[in-house]
Amino acid sequence: MGLSYKVVLWNNYKKNYDKIIVLGMLIYLVAFAVLTVVLNPETTVETLILRAFGSLAIVMLHIILVIGPLCRLDSKFLPILYNRRHLGVSMFIAALVHGVFAIIQFHSLGNVNPIYAVFTSNMDYGSLTNFPFQVLGFLALLILFVMASTSHDFFLGNLSAKVWKRLHMMVYIAYALIISHVFLGAFQQETSPFTIGILILGFLIVALLHLVAAYKERKVDVENTVEKEGWLEVCKISEIEEDRAKIFTIANERVAIFKYDGKLSAINNVCKHQGGPLGEGKIIDGCVTCPWHGYQYLPHNGQSPPPFTEKVATYQLKVADEMVYIHQEAFEEGTEVEPCNY
Amino acid sequence: MKKNDEFYVSYIEGSLGEKTKNRLKKFVFAAILFIVGAALVFALSQKEFKNSSFELSSDTKIIGIYHENPYPMLRVQLAENTYKNVLLLGFGKLSVNPYLKELKSEVGDLNGKKISIEGNLIYYNGKTLIQITDKEKVFLEAQTAFNIPKNELLSEMTLEGEVVDPKCYFGVMKPGNGKIHRSCAVLCISGGIPPVLVATDANNLSEYYLLTDIKGNPIHKDILPFVGKPSEIKGVVEKNEDWYTFKIDVSNIKLLDTPSNIYYDISMQ
Repeated sequence: MGLSYKVVLWNNYKKNYDKIIVLGMLIYLVAFAVLTVVLNPETTVETLILRAFGSLAIVMLHIILVIGPLCRLDSKFLPILYNRRHLGVSMFIAALVHGVFAIIQFHSLGNVNPIYAVFTSNMDYGSLTNFPFQVLGFLALLILFVMASTSHDFFLGNLSAKVWKRLHMMVYIAYALIISHVFLGAFQQETSPFTIGILILGFLIVALLHLVAAYKERKVDVENTVEKEGWLEVCKISEIEEDRAKIFTIANERVAIFKYDGKLSAINNVCKHQGGPLGEGKIIDGCVTCPWHGYQYLPHNGQSPPPFTEKVATYQLKVADEMVYIHQEAFEEGTEVEPCNY
Repeated sequence: MKKNDEFYVSYIEGSLGEKTKNRLKKFVFAAILFIVGAALVFALSQKEFKNSSFELSSDTKIIGIYHENPYPMLRVQLAENTYKNVLLLGFGKLSVNPYLKELKSEVGDLNGKKISIEGNLIYYNGKTLIQITDKEKVFLEAQTAFNIPKNELLSEMTLEGEVVDPKCYFGVMKPGNGKIHRSCAVLCISGGIPPVLVATDANNLSEYYLLTDIKGNPIHKDILPFVGKPSEIKGVVEKNEDWYTFKIDVSNIKLLDTPSNIYYDISMQ
């Protein structure tokens, strides 16, 4: 949480995280370069750079894409999500080196503008095998650029978490474009079953993890609630752990019901920072604490403790015969609601 | 989600619990393993590179007789009665003509004149080309006009192969052919680099043909739709010492729905 913006709010965890990113990238680049030069001494530096950075970006993108679903399946992965933006920006840099080098190598020093040449030097847009695959890579790079350049909290705060999240969900469009770029480009010529196989396997792992995570979360969205005189019966008090919450879908909104100090409070499940699931958070120092980046809200009014200003919607609860009931209508964000004692 | 009594908050010292730490270590280990595995797969799966050469960082001076057949060449004497025709190219993806313009305006017709050129050599499989990067490095060596051997008519032929730009194919890029390189080849040929047909026979031996129109004039724009795609081309083959010229009508080019043979012949050459 912060009141002003700095380039990076460094801490030891972020420093170690970034060291591992740099180490991983170096291991890949050195291993690729050494193997290529030893086994193929006739290679050129340009081709080596293009291939090393292009394939590194794809490898990193797969790692990035599995972090989200892994965290939804097991909260022990959450610290990896905490600094995922640095991994994303590093991946963009690798993709940028590949893209810029490709444009210099294949599209510049001619009789037309290099960017114009990317779109016009091959006009077989109607053919699958002859399709100008460079265009797909260029569009993917544009998406990654928009994502990398808006990854800072400054843009999160100014664009709103909802718009920011939608913008960053475009990573899936970039992934589709990159996979098509590789299959319609490099794999039309470098036809090794191993490289094709590793990307198919990568796609299957990414898709499977997303499907499993979505299936598990689906339970929250279809949780059976029983309506009684405007109130929804949601669960027994004992089903909620102390200082934790249970998540329910009320009128198409996910709501987290927290149990703490003999009280119950309900707030909207979506953190105002990056849309993190508050219901998977914990009450720390009397505040609901988001599991993603530690943003905090007071459970009885959905407001971040002063001087912070984030607010989420609150809900009214009641208890009868050990059962918890929630009123369907949400209060304005930051509205004070008397916690329900039990 | 699995139950986890540990709860990491970046600004709370010591909140990274042991179980979470162990999970992170396992993830990092798996990610490094994946990175190393992917590097092995991508590096080891590359096709062999050609032993072609491009001397980008060193200039070589060559002296010979200039002629256009129809593309600018320099006939260089290697030994008594042994000559090599060196194809002349401009910098980047451009023709050599702008670099010769000044000398042509001084001398007039350069055909048959002895000139010296300093530039970067490109060579592969018996063919040599030179990139000129500076018009100040082109000199007239003698005013006398020398005779150039005429083209020798061979026969009408139908050849299968891929149209490439010789600058990249013979050394500047690896690979300098096929789908990956196609856009670059299109730009090179549209910029004035002569188009060359690479045809490979049943024994995986390649021969190279400078493409011209049916009258023997240079072609650039008209050949672009066929560049980098396996094609069947009919025409008349002529020979001028170490280069073939293939006079063709682009309307007779037939695109073949097959992968190019030259994708597979690199190791055999």
